[in-house]
Amino acid sequence: MPAEAAAVPFPGGELKRVEQARNNDAWSSRGRMATSGIRRVDDTVLIREAQAGNRGAFEELVRQYDQAVLRLAMHLTGSESDAQDIYQEAFLKAYRSVGKFRFECSFYTWLYRIVTNLCLDHLRKKQVRKEDAPVATDSEGGEYSVIDRVADDRAHSNPEHDLMRRELGSRIQSALGKLSGRERMVFELKHYQGLKLRTIGEMLNTTEETAKNTLFRATQKLRAHLAEMR
Amino acid sequence: MNCEWAKANITLYVYDELADDGRYELEQHVSRCGDCASELDTVRAFRTTMSATPPVEPTPNLLAASRMRLQEALETAEPQRGWRLIDPMVWLRQMKFSPALAAVLLIFGFAGGIGTAWRLVPRAGGQLAGSGTGMAPSEASIAGIREINQVPGSGQVEIKYDTVTPQHAEGSLNDERIQQLLLFAARNNYNPGVRQNSVDLLSQKPGESNIREMLKASLLYDTNPGVRLRALESLAPYIKEDTGVRDAILQALQNDANPGVRAEAISFLQPVRADGAVRVVLQKLAAEERSDFIRQQASRMVASLPEID
Repeated sequence: MPAEAAAVPFPGGELKRVEQARNNDAWSSRGRMATSGIRRVDDTVLIREAQAGNRGAFEELVRQYDQAVLRLAMHLTGSESDAQDIYQEAFLKAYRSVGKFRFECSFYTWLYRIVTNLCLDHLRKKQVRKEDAPVATDSEGGEYSVIDRVADDRAHSNPEHDLMRRELGSRIQSALGKLSGRERMVFELKHYQGLKLRTIGEMLNTTEETAKNTLFRATQKLRAHLAEMR
Repeated sequence: MNCEWAKANITLYVYDELADDGRYELEQHVSRCGDCASELDTVRAFRTTMSATPPVEPTPNLLAASRMRLQEALETAEPQRGWRLIDPMVWLRQMKFSPALAAVLLIFGFAGGIGTAWRLVPRAGGQLAGSGTGMAPSEASIAGIREINQVPGSGQVEIKYDTVTPQHAEGSLNDERIQQLLLFAARNNYNPGVRQNSVDLLSQKPGESNIREMLKASLLYDTNPGVRLRALESLAPYIKEDTGVRDAILQALQNDANPGVRAEAISFLQPVRADGAVRVVLQKLAAEERSDFIRQQASRMVASLPEID
């Protein structure tokens, strides 16, 4: 995926792209939200430029993080169009308030704080509407199952296996849907995004200890829900 | 190391969030305990199951469409630039919520105005005729102007003012003067880092009654959860012998806004769970508490209490 993503243009970018090899590395590492010394230095320069009003620098920052943001939003909302809304709102918020960024944490922690807050709002609204959403909508308004898409990619040659995966997938989605917004977010960031609990605590404005407790609660609930469904 | 601890930490172990010493202890325990080994297998299997539906990567089309849409929105969006940081309205809004800052600015503004006037007065025989050290204002910060009088017909102005001068104190923690300064810092400093350092140092002497009172006040009223947590840890050893400490910890358990402080507070109540006041609070929490963790802990402690005849 990194190579494909790097090939997607960001129209109107004013800064020159860095050389391809490093760029590919950047995409892959960004995809997993890893950090490195070089990236941090790059980020610092880009952030300072963006704070001085250079929109091109901000767009460069967007390019580094937006695939991960979109993936997180898609998995949490189960909807491409909701994920696009969160993506849009998150980066607009980041653009408007990049002047307030004080380098007290990494840029991705700061950005993810914005994204997770938007996702939590979305999950809360969704819980109020009592929507179970294993069915998702794509950007053209058509409905599809996120689980179906995963299964289709993996088990072309074995329909029985495919069916089992679909069933398991919908059980997992249903169990995830029963978690509170915060539990869902901590589990998502830990299990699917592979972030450290310390970082998750920073993103959610809480302590590492609380994030640990929330992860424990989330896994207990998920295990119970999955066991009930057997 | 027991099964309860192991079971509470197996999830962290499976998700690589347990520190090395904890990992080692857990592995040792699991090698000896069949129940915990089985729990570990279950949690590992759970992790594998949950990975059956990995997040779907956004397609290049979706990514490109999102970028185009964002690009259009950025055309009209305005970033907040640096100048907004010195926007006078922002300062005024901050002052509204910060009476102390407002007072300081007012004092310095007033002092600055007076100072300017003082310099404009002809300095014939320009000696400072004031009492005290006679230190010029440039050598110290003016804390406030007490009185201003113009001497009739002489062109001289008499100003009485207070100054703040930086001081330095050094001494042992047993030194009463050092303790007084630390107590003052723990209560009054606007910087939570300074308060936490003061509480850290004072917590080495929690046996002294005035220090213990200060620690109780920090636990109940400090605005910083880190300071409250430190105060709580320092007070915990006295929970059996000092009912005031017990009451403060009970109050923190019931009212603290920070879940971490509350979780710590309930863990310290274990040795005094049979106490009447503690029992009442635990029963209430077991029945009504909204936090699952606190409710479960309270229920567990209530269940372990002996029956009252």
